[in-house]
Amino acid sequence: MELLAVFLPLFAFIVAGLFGKQIGDIGCQIVTSASVIIAAVFSVILFFEVGLGDYEAYSTILTRWIDSGTFQVNWALRVDTLSVVMMCVINIVSSCVHIYSIGYMSHDAAKGRFMAYLSLFTFAMLMLVTADNLLQLFFGWEGVGLASYLLIGFWNHKPSANAAAQKAFVVNRVGDFGLALGIMAVFVIFGSLDFDVIFSQVSDFADYKFVFLGYELHALTVASLLLFMGAVGKSAQLGLHTWLPDAMEGPTPVSALIHAATMVTAGVFLVARMSPLFEFAPVALIVVTVFGATTAFVAATIGLTQFDIKRVIAYSTMSQLGYMFFALGVSAYGAAMFHLMTHAFFKALLFLGAGSVIHAMSDEQDMRNMGGIAKKIPATYTMMWIGSLALAGVGIPGIFGFAGFYSKDMVLEAAWADASWFGHYAYWMGIAAAVMTAFYSGRLIFMTFHGKPRASKQVMSHIHESPAVMLAPLYVLAFGAIFAGFLFYNSFVGSAHHGEHDAHHIAKPLASGDHHDTAMIESTTKRNAKEEIKKAAGTIKAGIETQVSNVEEKMIGHAESIAEDHSNGDLNPRAKSDNDQIDAAHTDKHTNDHDDKAHFAATKEDFWKNTIFIRAGNDTVDAAHGVDLWVKLLPLIAGLFGLGLSYIFYIVAPGLPEKCVKAFKYPHQLLFNKWYFDELYDALIVKNALRLGRVFAVAGDKNIIDRLGPDGTALASLKTGTIFGKIQSGFIYHYAFIMIISVIGLVTWFFMKAW
Amino acid sequence: MLDFNLIPILPEIFLAFTAMGLLIVGVSGGNKSTDIICWAAVLSCLMAIFLLFGISWQRTTVLNDMFIIDQFGGFMKLIILLGMIASIALSVKYLYQEQMIRFEYPVLMLMACVGMMLMVSAHNLLGLYMALELQSLSLYVLAAFRRNSYKSAEAGTKYFVLGALSSGLILFGISLVYGFTGSINFSVIQTSLSNEGAANIGAIIGMVFLLSGLAFKISAVPFHMWTPDVYQGAPTSVTAFFAIVPKVAAFALIIRLLYEPFAPLMEQWSQIILFLSVASMTVGAFAALVQDNLKRLLAYSSIGNMGYALIGIVAGNEAGVSAVIIYLFIYMFMTAGTFGVILCLRRGGIASEKISDLGGLSLTNPALAYAMAILMFSMSGLPPLAGFFGKLFVFQAAIDGELYALAIYGVITTVIAAYYYLRIIKVMFFDDPVDTLDKDIPFARRAVIFVSVIFVLGFIIKPNLLVSSSQSAASAITAPQGLAVKKTIKEPPQAAAAGDRPSSTEAAATVTGAQDK
Amino acid sequence: MIIQALAFYLFAGILSLSALAVITARNPVHSVLFLILAFFNASGLFLLLGAEFIAMILVIVYVGAVAVLFLFVVMMLDINFSDLRKGAMQYVPVGLLIGLILLIELAVIYQTWSLDAITAAASISMANMGETTNTELIGANLYTNYVLPFQIAGLILFVAMIGAIVLTHRSRPGVKRQKVAQQYARQRDEAMEIVKVTPRTGA
Repeated sequence: MELLAVFLPLFAFIVAGLFGKQIGDIGCQIVTSASVIIAAVFSVILFFEVGLGDYEAYSTILTRWIDSGTFQVNWALRVDTLSVVMMCVINIVSSCVHIYSIGYMSHDAAKGRFMAYLSLFTFAMLMLVTADNLLQLFFGWEGVGLASYLLIGFWNHKPSANAAAQKAFVVNRVGDFGLALGIMAVFVIFGSLDFDVIFSQVSDFADYKFVFLGYELHALTVASLLLFMGAVGKSAQLGLHTWLPDAMEGPTPVSALIHAATMVTAGVFLVARMSPLFEFAPVALIVVTVFGATTAFVAATIGLTQFDIKRVIAYSTMSQLGYMFFALGVSAYGAAMFHLMTHAFFKALLFLGAGSVIHAMSDEQDMRNMGGIAKKIPATYTMMWIGSLALAGVGIPGIFGFAGFYSKDMVLEAAWADASWFGHYAYWMGIAAAVMTAFYSGRLIFMTFHGKPRASKQVMSHIHESPAVMLAPLYVLAFGAIFAGFLFYNSFVGSAHHGEHDAHHIAKPLASGDHHDTAMIESTTKRNAKEEIKKAAGTIKAGIETQVSNVEEKMIGHAESIAEDHSNGDLNPRAKSDNDQIDAAHTDKHTNDHDDKAHFAATKEDFWKNTIFIRAGNDTVDAAHGVDLWVKLLPLIAGLFGLGLSYIFYIVAPGLPEKCVKAFKYPHQLLFNKWYFDELYDALIVKNALRLGRVFAVAGDKNIIDRLGPDGTALASLKTGTIFGKIQSGFIYHYAFIMIISVIGLVTWFFMKAW
Repeated sequence: MLDFNLIPILPEIFLAFTAMGLLIVGVSGGNKSTDIICWAAVLSCLMAIFLLFGISWQRTTVLNDMFIIDQFGGFMKLIILLGMIASIALSVKYLYQEQMIRFEYPVLMLMACVGMMLMVSAHNLLGLYMALELQSLSLYVLAAFRRNSYKSAEAGTKYFVLGALSSGLILFGISLVYGFTGSINFSVIQTSLSNEGAANIGAIIGMVFLLSGLAFKISAVPFHMWTPDVYQGAPTSVTAFFAIVPKVAAFALIIRLLYEPFAPLMEQWSQIILFLSVASMTVGAFAALVQDNLKRLLAYSSIGNMGYALIGIVAGNEAGVSAVIIYLFIYMFMTAGTFGVILCLRRGGIASEKISDLGGLSLTNPALAYAMAILMFSMSGLPPLAGFFGKLFVFQAAIDGELYALAIYGVITTVIAAYYYLRIIKVMFFDDPVDTLDKDIPFARRAVIFVSVIFVLGFIIKPNLLVSSSQSAASAITAPQGLAVKKTIKEPPQAAAAGDRPSSTEAAATVTGAQDK
Repeated sequence: MIIQALAFYLFAGILSLSALAVITARNPVHSVLFLILAFFNASGLFLLLGAEFIAMILVIVYVGAVAVLFLFVVMMLDINFSDLRKGAMQYVPVGLLIGLILLIELAVIYQTWSLDAITAAASISMANMGETTNTELIGANLYTNYVLPFQIAGLILFVAMIGAIVLTHRSRPGVKRQKVAQQYARQRDEAMEIVKVTPRTGA
């Protein structure tokens, strides 16, 4: 099944890529879309089996790839919860984008090629997430990079698109360099690239040291940081983020699929996958947190000032990726993956919605030229609202919320629950970003759909709702954006105290955890506990909740100093009292909403099943369920505040933004110019690199390497050939002479040897 | 006293009589009957193959120890006969197209074939020389066959004069060997040499002369000078024949000579062969870069290929000999196909042989262009085509024989040589088309091209068919002599003999092993 | 023995000198004549060895057929050999040098030679020589021990014949040949036509 789920897109790519002419555009569209949809169905089945069911995780070995001494790498598909979650996200979003593209690209000449690239991307991404070793992951990593390059530059007649594609590729090179080094470092440390081998040995190497240039470096930290460098590049974190906004030059479905939902999250996936490594490298985790939090903040500030509808969403993506990273940094891997999933849905929705708007506005992307089109395209309008609300994280605590409500809150709470300086830093940065997120989401909606039309009459007269083939994927994604958080909250970050029967499940791992020195207890138990408690907070009175959270809070305080076993031991009896009520409330909901839900893994332990490791005392997800109420409510308040603010700015008092800009001229300039990152890089790196490159190209390459290397060798070869040609004079006696000389030479040789 | 058992020699006798019979048919039927005679010649080669399979390939010598049949000889004769069939089939239509239709043509080819088969089976220096002359004389005439063309006549003359020189070298070598070992019989020479070993400098010098003369026949550098001129000047069908078959026979002769009578001198002859191999690879790679005539280019290509094949002999183990046989087999198929394509290059009834004439072939005649492209890729040694495996086995044998530098050099020259093969592909696929080719490609030519392309493509599917038979052929020639070979190299004769036998089987095992993977 | 030795040196000396003259003579006819002289002396050497059959064959075949054929060709073609030789002559010094090296090497190598090797391994026993004649022995050997090379030699001649015909024979149009059967079978009315001539018309 996993074979089909992964290789159908490859098959589609091959068919559409090689035989595109023969089967025609429609053939390509059918083949690629159908393949990806089938793959999506299979991945959902896998998700239920492996993620929610109790199937064991497994690897399907396809063939031996490299076998060189001790370096052995397989082509294999690793199916575990982490990978099936990613597979689901990838395949579902990809199917939506495939179908959407049929409508969106209907005016394009090279539909077949576009669909083929999309399928290639999907395959590469699937290879990335199902890799069971780092090299295969690298293969997928580069594969998505290639596909991204091809798709950003898809409109290759546009110079800006070509430049953007190159920029994306080059900037990613920096990150990939780090990743490659990281992989090598891992191989040096563990002697293998197989995840199983690495993870099983990681605790043995906890204090392993490299000696590099005379410095002793903590090996795991170095490896983790190098791997993280790859993640920074791919996931557009601060420093290597400059390519992402430019990548919006690509067609909008591409932005939705690659630059919002899937590829950019590869970095998050990488860190989550390598969680055992990072867990033993606390310094690396701090770096990840700080990077993520800063990115979330900076990207959000830039997003406030942009006018290109796609760029706003792009910066929002960057900002949300920042959230995921600081969640990873505080060891809340489950929360990060949860946010990854929900984000994939609502961000793809936003992008595709934006695409629909752009489509309607005759390829206009500047929000200053939009406005007042809400009534003309009601479906798109609704979808955009759903996406924005999900992004802003709006919901009613304890009853229902959009996807972002659950995941973002979880991330922020986990950051707070980490109870460290960087955790708090991340929290406050996240809250600030949340305000801005809500603000620019509202700004986007209001500027685009409300107010007076700013577009020309011609454009306005052409505005039409998108065809059904474009709207249908929007509905699917909207469903995800609304319900994904609510449905999978328990599974991803659910509390251990969900119900008594769950408690039994947990009892075992806890018991075993007690006796293990390594104390590698899965995060899942804790996370589930937190989540459950959070839910409880929703359904039960706030008073009870505060009690519970207070107790938990204390507990976490303990957990820092005391071994985790204790905290768990404390947790269990305390939680039980609440559990009955919570459980009752939940089961009601489950049965009402969905039959499937009854089978959903109720706790994160059941769900993640060893795919994520968290060291003892680090489980912030569990801890997050017990944070203060204000910590939990603040993100929501921030979101509502931001939305309200945007309403005031753009509907109530439309003159306000300009005044603000005038009042804060310099800060605005800084933000509007994206903190001058591009300019800085251009001045510092690009120009110098070009200058250096020119030196090397002319002096080094052309005059030295080429002259001695390819050109020289080729010329020498030709000259040698000419000489041989000249010897071939055509005169018999020349020939005979050479023969005789040779014979005598040989005779003399042996003659000299004998005497 | 005299063993008059003629059964092992039956295929040769049959072919000789057929040739005479066909000559009579030709004389009475005139030149009109040429095509019938050609097909009859093909048929007789097929018959000879049947006869060959009919006789026992157990090592036997007959006619006063002058003729030997063994697995090696049998297999090489099979290759020769297959090559004969291909080259006669390629020729038929060409003779008509070029107005050189004469019934002697197939007769001469058959006589050359008899000569070559006798060469493979020679077990005596005198028989060797006579067989060689029989073959050479037929080839001289064939080279000059289009007597109205100056080029053809020049080719024939050059080939003849230089060939006579090489015959002189061989004869002089034979006389030295005879003088210093006291016999012209292979077994006796071997015994004599294994007693005296390297001390017999006279025999070594004799061997040098002998090998030089034979190197001429396989056009190994520096005895290759005739090759480009003759290949270019001779009628194309004859060139195809030259490139395909006589090399195999001469190689078989060299292998037999080196592994039977001169086996004790392995240390010495491997130096000569090494020199020839390196020189051939060099010239083959470089000189072809500047050629613009396809036939001339292929002449250098064949020189280079002979260099690669020689690597297998230098390796001096069973795997090496087996690799040579495989290499020659594959080379024969590729060359036959390539010449088949070249023979098809005709515009308005005139043959063209410039590389530029291939321009845009992919547009004007895609099937031919793709066939040629596959063959060229194979020639340049790209996996998974057959040409790659030929080189792989040879290089592997060299590495088994610890000749790392030689193997590396071989790879380097392969890379250089790839340039001119790929250039042909480039011209065919990326250059502007010249006029369209004549469309009527005779059936036989199609068949040869088709078979060779299929072979090149399909070799990877079942390489063991060829590999295992070539191994048994190689072991037939190396195994009984292996004892003597090692004796001279290693000091304690008995111990070495006992100790070294497994190494050759081991080498063979690695080849099989590579196949199984 | 002295006479034999004297005869050997005489024959050998003349042989060497005439061989030298063959390649140095300016007139090609002289070259061929020197060649004939060389053949005669070589056959003399064979006689001294007691190989009278070979000696006679040498005279008959080489002198009687080959050399005379050469003579005809040379005289009929009238080729100016000195022109041909001009190109080759510039290499004489190099050639001489190389020849000298080879000669020295071979000479040194001959030092290691001994007759033992041959006599030990020779298959033809010398003892039989007295009883049977040279010719008989060669014949017996050719058709028994050496039948294969002998037959191959036959094939070689066969090929040579075909080759000569292929390369030289041309059927020219307009050449009249005797065809006896046709000539006999010709009837009168095929060959003759009776024409009625009108007188005084002059035609």
